[in-house]
Order: sequence, then structure tokens, then C-alpha cells
Amino acid sequence: MTQTALFLTAVRRRIRPSRTLPFLVVGLLLALLLLFFVLPVIWLLLAPSKTAGEVVRDNPLSFGSLHQIGTAWRHLFAFQDGAMLTWLRNSAVYSGGSLILTLAVSVPAGYALALTRFRGRKTLLVITLVTMIMPQATLVLPIFLELNRFHLIGTIWSVILPFSFYPFGVYLVYIYFGSSLPRDLLSAARIDGCTEWQLFSRIALPLAKPVVGLVAFFSFVGNWNNFFLPYLVLPNSEQFPVQVGLNQLLTSTPSFNPVAGAGLNVTIPELALAVIIAILPVLVLFVFSQRTLVSGMLAGASKE
Amino acid sequence: MTLLETERVIVAPSRRGTTPRREGRGRGGAGYFFVAGYALLLLAFGVFPTGYAFYLAFTNDRGQFTGLNQFVKVIQDYRFAPAFTHMLIYLVMWLVTLVVLVVLTAVILRSRVRPGTSALFRFLYYIPGALAGVASVLVWLFMLDPDVSPVSWLLTSMGLKTFAAVLAPGNLPLILMLIAFWTGAGGWMVVMYGALNNIPDEVLEAARMDGAGPWQTAWHIQIPMIRQWITYMTIMAFATGTQLFVEPQLLQTASLGRVSPTWSPNQLAYVYAFQQGDFNGAAAISVVLLAVGLLAAALLVARSNLFTLDEK
Amino acid sequence: MESSPSPRTGRRHSLLRTAAVTLSLATTAVLAGCASADTTTDSSSGQSAFKPAAQKEGSRITVWADSTRLPSVQAYQKSHPDVKMKIVTYDGGADGSTYLQSKVQLFDRTGSGWPDVVFGAPTDVTWASEATKPGGQPFAAPLDAKLVPRSTLDGFAKGSLTPCEFNGHTYCMRNDIAQVLLWYNKPLMDNWGYKVPTTWQEYEALGEQVAKDHPGYLVGSVGDTNSHESYFWSGQCPAFNLVKPDTLRTDLRDPKCTRMAKLLDNLISAKAVATQGFFSQGFAKNSGSKVLMAYGPSWYGQYLFKAGFKTPAKQIAAAPPLAWKGESTTATGNVGGGVWMVSSHSANLKASTGLVTWLTTSDENQATAPTYPAYAQAAKAWLANPANRDYFANDVSKPFEQAANEVWTGWSNTRFSDSTAWSSVVLPALTAGKSLTETLPAWQQEIAGEAKTQGYKVVDQ
Repeated sequence: MTQTALFLTAVRRRIRPSRTLPFLVVGLLLALLLLFFVLPVIWLLLAPSKTAGEVVRDNPLSFGSLHQIGTAWRHLFAFQDGAMLTWLRNSAVYSGGSLILTLAVSVPAGYALALTRFRGRKTLLVITLVTMIMPQATLVLPIFLELNRFHLIGTIWSVILPFSFYPFGVYLVYIYFGSSLPRDLLSAARIDGCTEWQLFSRIALPLAKPVVGLVAFFSFVGNWNNFFLPYLVLPNSEQFPVQVGLNQLLTSTPSFNPVAGAGLNVTIPELALAVIIAILPVLVLFVFSQRTLVSGMLAGASKE
Repeated sequence: MTLLETERVIVAPSRRGTTPRREGRGRGGAGYFFVAGYALLLLAFGVFPTGYAFYLAFTNDRGQFTGLNQFVKVIQDYRFAPAFTHMLIYLVMWLVTLVVLVVLTAVILRSRVRPGTSALFRFLYYIPGALAGVASVLVWLFMLDPDVSPVSWLLTSMGLKTFAAVLAPGNLPLILMLIAFWTGAGGWMVVMYGALNNIPDEVLEAARMDGAGPWQTAWHIQIPMIRQWITYMTIMAFATGTQLFVEPQLLQTASLGRVSPTWSPNQLAYVYAFQQGDFNGAAAISVVLLAVGLLAAALLVARSNLFTLDEK
Repeated sequence: MESSPSPRTGRRHSLLRTAAVTLSLATTAVLAGCASADTTTDSSSGQSAFKPAAQKEGSRITVWADSTRLPSVQAYQKSHPDVKMKIVTYDGGADGSTYLQSKVQLFDRTGSGWPDVVFGAPTDVTWASEATKPGGQPFAAPLDAKLVPRSTLDGFAKGSLTPCEFNGHTYCMRNDIAQVLLWYNKPLMDNWGYKVPTTWQEYEALGEQVAKDHPGYLVGSVGDTNSHESYFWSGQCPAFNLVKPDTLRTDLRDPKCTRMAKLLDNLISAKAVATQGFFSQGFAKNSGSKVLMAYGPSWYGQYLFKAGFKTPAKQIAAAPPLAWKGESTTATGNVGGGVWMVSSHSANLKASTGLVTWLTTSDENQATAPTYPAYAQAAKAWLANPANRDYFANDVSKPFEQAANEVWTGWSNTRFSDSTAWSSVVLPALTAGKSLTETLPAWQQEIAGEAKTQGYKVVDQ
């Protein structure tokens, strides 16, 4: 008996006349969550349109002026001779580069962990879990020493290589292949004489678009937002990704550093604008990968 | 069954030599090839650093073996007990809220809302997840200050009239949990939604034809079928809970120092490493945190058979 | 799934094994007389004399500056094209960042990569003047060891180089000081017929008067992360008093502490002194125009009143620091100020010290600096610059110079920031309605705790 049939049998025994929960409660929950998640973002979006004083004095959700957005833009990109652009470019290189490496490495690994047998499979899973649970503070020093030993400090590899280690993604692929891929499909193909590589590239990979999309997205975002590793490992401010750059902007804002912020024209509106620019690539990517992120795919792939 | 036993059970047959032909398993050689790249990175950025951290936890800065002295030292630190107390309170609130609300919302978005609206909601719920670090500092500096916040009416109605009042030490676990939920829940909702989407339509059809209402379907069919994903989310939530660092750190910057810089144990490890220059003490704290996280993970994995390749 | 021989014995096996390992470790620890878990604290006596690295004339120097100091360094590059520089920006140690310390630790481990010149916070000098491992060399070079002439070092304001001095050497040059003095709103004071106080007793009396006559107006605030430096440092309270390089005296029961706490408690309950910080977001909006007086650093003028509260020009005036009636000496506090350090590993000490000397002592650079220079001559040039004076209602030169020479040297520069204990223990207590006097023990306990974790011996005598 298949698992689904088992479930249905269990359900049949317990069915009572169905009562749908009032639509109101569901709607209320969704609306409250919407307010919670979105209100701060709306504030953030409106902040660059106001001057520093207006942000504090006026209604938090009021719109200032388009002219002010232009001013904030100019101030932001004048900071340290266009450092913002350099930081954005660096982030793109680091996140994009490690994305390719992450996918090339994590998807096959997740597949193998879920659907093949080899000695050490379980050990690999356990070790992966352990490294995911280990707090980061103490891991940065050994990583730095390692990178230094291989003379990678100061190169983009000092960031891209550690970024490509993405155990979270490997586990996503592992669970996905383990729970969603029909075994009989693979065993049928194996009986037909397919090699493992053919199985992977011809059957598993096309069916794995959702999880590949998921891993790609989360990997890119995680690396785009990663602050601590680049902060410690990069010697030059020109190599900083945008998150580390934002931190420098923060310490140049009078609200956080009254004296150091002097004369630099970086106030709350400029900081808010910098933040918005920094997250735009992530949001654009999300919109474009919505379909691959959540589409169902197994309908009709195998006949039970 | 414990983790060790499950492993033994799976590995045992291969040692016997005559491997019964099992469906759905590939040959060993190909497996090695597939994991080679990842294993290399795992060794370089997972195993070696963790091993080095363990080494540090049992030695001092002159390289001499110290036994358990590092652990004794950090446990006796006057900041250790408060940090762990904070973490435990936070963990309970965080786990319950995250798991319940994420699964509930994912189910609602999958079954009770039209696909177009559902996609919009998922996007909107996710946006804060893109805001990390400095972005969050800025946003919460303003959200929590009753003088300038869009929700000042909510704060003042709770009797909190100033930023300082909002950040009273007793409120911190709740505030930090809210911030962590704000940034983290959206992503998990996307994952759970995807997991729910993979349940074949025919299963849901069959349930509907049998007369099961949407909530019964959810409780008896959908949720059990994504239990591995839920387990994974719980493990990761527990791990990120024990590793709590970013939220209290950003709140410390945003509040200009009102929140203690060693509020969470991970922050304490950071202070040991980068302020006191004591990597050995930091490693000891990290190993304690790792032990706590592993314990929970082991329990969850064993109960849910996350590591077993079960037949369908 | 096939079953293994006996799951229960398997479980017992692994448990026993773990227990055995733990027990053996513990026993080893006890029996083998394990090494101490404490970090090596390099005492001053064991330090080796400064040995400069091999010098390469004309080699490129790496300069780490913060965003505010970057234009100065760039100006130096422009006017000295023969000096090859690589300029890197970082957070400058602001907001308690330990970036410099972390990076130097990493560089010490790998043996290379140190910058030649860095801008940092005074706390940075506390660790930079000591080696990070036994036998190593401290990051900061002792500038008095034939690098900078004695006459130059003597030209700094009295006490401004104290945060740089360790083990009898001077490890940095002070960029600016933030001497604490009395700020007041001249038109309001004149309109209401108040006399500018010269003693703390007069300040207290005036505060109580203002609370009665004009409720809502403030004569100070204790709610900022560094308010204690304005009040308790000025009051000569021995909260951070290094009696020996590794021994910290912190005694908040001292009369100098308790009398300041009592004064502030009085004014707080009279609502003349705010527990909400001047720099909190809502303050400028709600009470910015109601600040009659403030007791704080020299940069309050431009960065609090002008930039923060947007008080119109020619209203804010400065007065010299307050004294206690009956006491002959006046002391004041200090809130901030950056330092420039030269790396002891630098391969071009000549260029490095040249840069640092120009940055801290030249009129050319300091006359337009954002804050009051520590070098006395440069300070005069700064005061002569109209941009630094025109905003004020009176001539701020005299109070600024007087305060600059009165900074109390008994508040020491320690390896940990003096603001953490105040911000995380005292400020929440004040918000919860407790008085300063009753919070003093908790404050002292936190300072002592922090000091101990940093390796200091704590005394209260």
C-alpha cells in the first residue's frame, strides 16, 4: 500500500462533518502579518523623500518630495567618491561567482546524499549538520588562517570560496530529492542501464528546478547580505561588498556618531536610500524566480 | 532509535558483502564523484575550522593543554549565566512562534488563497528577509521609538512612552524575537509553500472527494507529508536561536549601547574573541552552544528519521 | 529496515564510551595539573625594547582613516606627491567597533599585513601598546623613541596625551580633544535674568529655579551613552582610576561620586535634567528648543545645538567648566577624541611619522578640522577660524582653552570602553525610575566585572 493510500484510510476513519473556519479569522491573520512585515518597509521607502529633520518631525508615513530623493541620491553617490557603486559591483561579483560554484557543488551533493549509497553518506550528513550548528565567531579565525596559508587573502577567492560552502542548500536539495522524487522512476531507468550521471542530468535535474531555484536564491541572498566574513577577511575598503560598506555609512551618520558624521552629508534619508539600493537586486531576483521557487512539478511524471 | 543506531542499521548491510538488490539505490562509486566538490569545501570551511575551534577550546594561547579549564573559566564569567538565561527564554518564544505561524500561514496561502494573491503575499512577507544588518538597525531604530514610529499608538497604548522604556531589559526577548521573525519567517514561508506545492494534487483531490474539509486536509494530510521540511526548519530555527547574534548586536548599535553587548552567548563568544583577544575562551563558549544545538538536532533527527532513506 | 543485533546494548555502549571519555578528560585535567586557561598578560617589565623593522626609504605606506579624516589624508597626498600612500577607509573604532583590534590580531598571527598609519579610538591604544603574544612586538610604535621630537609632544594640551602613555612611552598622537564645559542659551538666560553659574552649587540652584519658573526647560541630560564622562569625570569621581598598569581602582562610594550623584538626582526629580538622551531621535523634536543649558564637550556647539537642535546662530554661548565652591582646583571631563598611531612594523617610519605629525600639529590641517585640536598651537589656529566661532553668541576661545587644560587625568584609558557599564546598567535603571545614588553599587559592580574579564586587578582603595 502506498503512503498516500495509508493516509487516506486514516483520514476516512476520522472524518466528521466539515466546518470551515470563518473566513474572517484567516483574513485577519493575513492582514496582521501583512502590516507587521510591510509597514516598516513602507517607512523605509518613504524615508529618502524627506530631509533628516522631516523624517523625525513629520508623520512617519508621509511622503516628502521627489526633489529630496534626488538630493539624497547625490549625497549618497558623492560619499567617498562613489564608493557605493564600487561596493555594489563587488557584491555582484562575490554573490554571482559563489552562486555558480554553490550550485555546481551543492546540487549533485544533495542528489547523491538522497538517492545513492556510498560509505560515509551518513557521516557526511552528520558532519554537515554539526557545522551548520557551530557558532560563527570562532570559525572565522581558522578560515582566515587557512586562506592566508594559501595566499588567497586580498583576492576575490578569499570571499567566493567560503561563500560557496552552503550546507543549508545541500540539505534543501537532500530533503527535496529524498521526499519528492519517485524512486520507481529512477530504478526503472537504472534497470534500463542508465549511468548515474545520466540519471542525474537527464531525469533528476530537470525535475529539480524548484529546489535549484530555491538554493540559488537563498545562496545569493545569504551571500549578498553576509557581513562578517568579508568584513574580517578583506584588507581594502575598495573590495568591500555593499553590506560592509553600509556599516561604514552607518558610522558616518550623525545619528550614530555625532562628530564623525560631520560634513559628510550622510543622514537618515541617505542611509535609507543606500539600504533600498542594496536590497533591490535581491527583490528583483525574488520576483523573477517566483515561478521556479514554488511551482509543483511532479504531476504526471510517474504513473502510480 | 538514536542517531548512532540508525546509522549502524543502514551501514550494516553493506558490510556483509552480499548486498541485496534494493530499488532506488545507486552504486557507491558515482556517489563519491557527486559529493567530491562539496566534500572538499566541507573539509576546508566546515571540518577544519570546527576542529580547530575544538582544539582551541581545550588549550590556552600558549598551546598548552588545559583540559576543561577553559570551560570552567567561561562558565564562571559573570556574563555567562545571564546570557544563557536570555537565550533560553528567547528560544522558547522563537521556536513556538516560528513553527506555528510559518506552517499555518503556508497552509493558508496554499489552500485558502488564490494563486495570484498568494504569490503577492509571499513576496510581501519575504521583503524584510532581504533587509539584513545595517538595514535592520536603521528600520528598528525608528520602529521602536514611540516619538517617531509609525506604530507609536501601539507602543504608547502599552505604556511605553520613550525609546528607553521600550528597551527595558524585560522586553528584550520579545523584541528580539519579533525582529528575528520579521527577517526570518518570510523565507521559511516560501520553503514551506514550495513543500506543500509538491504534494500531488490527486492526494488532495481524493481527500476532498471523501468529504474532508480544508483544515482536516491540512492537519491530517498536508502537514504530515511535509514533516521532514518542518523538522529541518525546527532544527535550523533551534540552531539559529542558539547562535543569536545579529539581532541583539544591531539593537545594541541602534540603541547606542542600552542593550548589553553580551546579551546572547554568541555575542559573549564574539567579545571574548575580538575584544579580549581570547580565542580559547570564545571557542569554549562556542562548543557549549554547539553541544546544546546538537542535542536538540539529534533528538529531532532521531524522532523524525530525517537521515533515513525511507521507501515510498 | 533490517534490525541490528541489539539496539539497547548499542545505545549503552555509546553512552558508556562518552562517559568514559569525559571522565578521563576530567581526570587528566586534575591529575596532569593542566595549564591555566588564562590569556597571557604581558606585563610591562617583560616587554622587549622597540626594534624597528627594516626600513625601505620611499616605500608605500598604508593609511587607515575613517570617513571624516579621509579628506585630510587625501589633502596630504596632494600636497606631498612624493610620498606614496595607499588609503583605506574603515569605521575608525566608532560605536565600540573592535575592527582594528581584530585585524591586528589576525595580522600578528600571520606575520604580515599591518597598516603603517591608523586613526583609532583611545581604547585602541590600550591593546596596541602591548604585544599580543609573548615575545612579540606591540602594534603601536613608541613615538617618543626618536620618532617624534620631544618638543612636539610637549606642545599638546595638558593631559591630552595621557591616553597614549603606557609603560613610560607615548604610543600615539592625539588628534582632537573634547573638553567638557558649560553651554547655555544666552538670550534665554538674559531674558529670564539668570546668572551663568560658575560652581556646581550654583548650577544645582539654577536648575531648581528653572524647573519652578519655566517647567519643561532643561539644564542638562544624563541619558546619553557618554553623559557620565561629562558629569562624573568632571566631578573627579574615581570610577576608572588605574593606580598601576594592571590594577584598576573603582570606588563609587567616594564622596566625589556620591555628591555628583546626589546633585543629579535632585535635578532629575525636579525635571530640570533629562533622563532621555540629547541624541535620541525624539528629543530634538520634542525638547530641542527647551535646552537652556547643557554640560558637555566642546563639540556640542556645532554637532548638538547647530546640527541636532537647529538652534539659530548667536544664541548658544560657552562658559568655563564648573568648580565646587570652596575648592581651588577645577577639573573637567572629556568625551571622545581620536588618535593617530604609527605601526611598529612599518617599513617607512619617516613617511609615517611625517604624515601623523602633519595631521595632528599643522595649522593647515587642523584649522579646518571638525573638532578642537589637541595640539595647543593648532588649537589656536582652529579658534582663529571664523567658521568655528561665528555660530556662537560669545567668544568661545577662552572657555575652550581653559577647559582644554583642566581635563582630569584620574579617569584612565582602559582596555574596555567606559560607556558599556553606564549604558547597559545605569541608563535602564534611570528609565525604570531608580535614582542614580541607588544605582551606584550596580554600576560599580559592572565596571569591576568588566575590568576583571579584561585581566585587571580591581581594588576600591
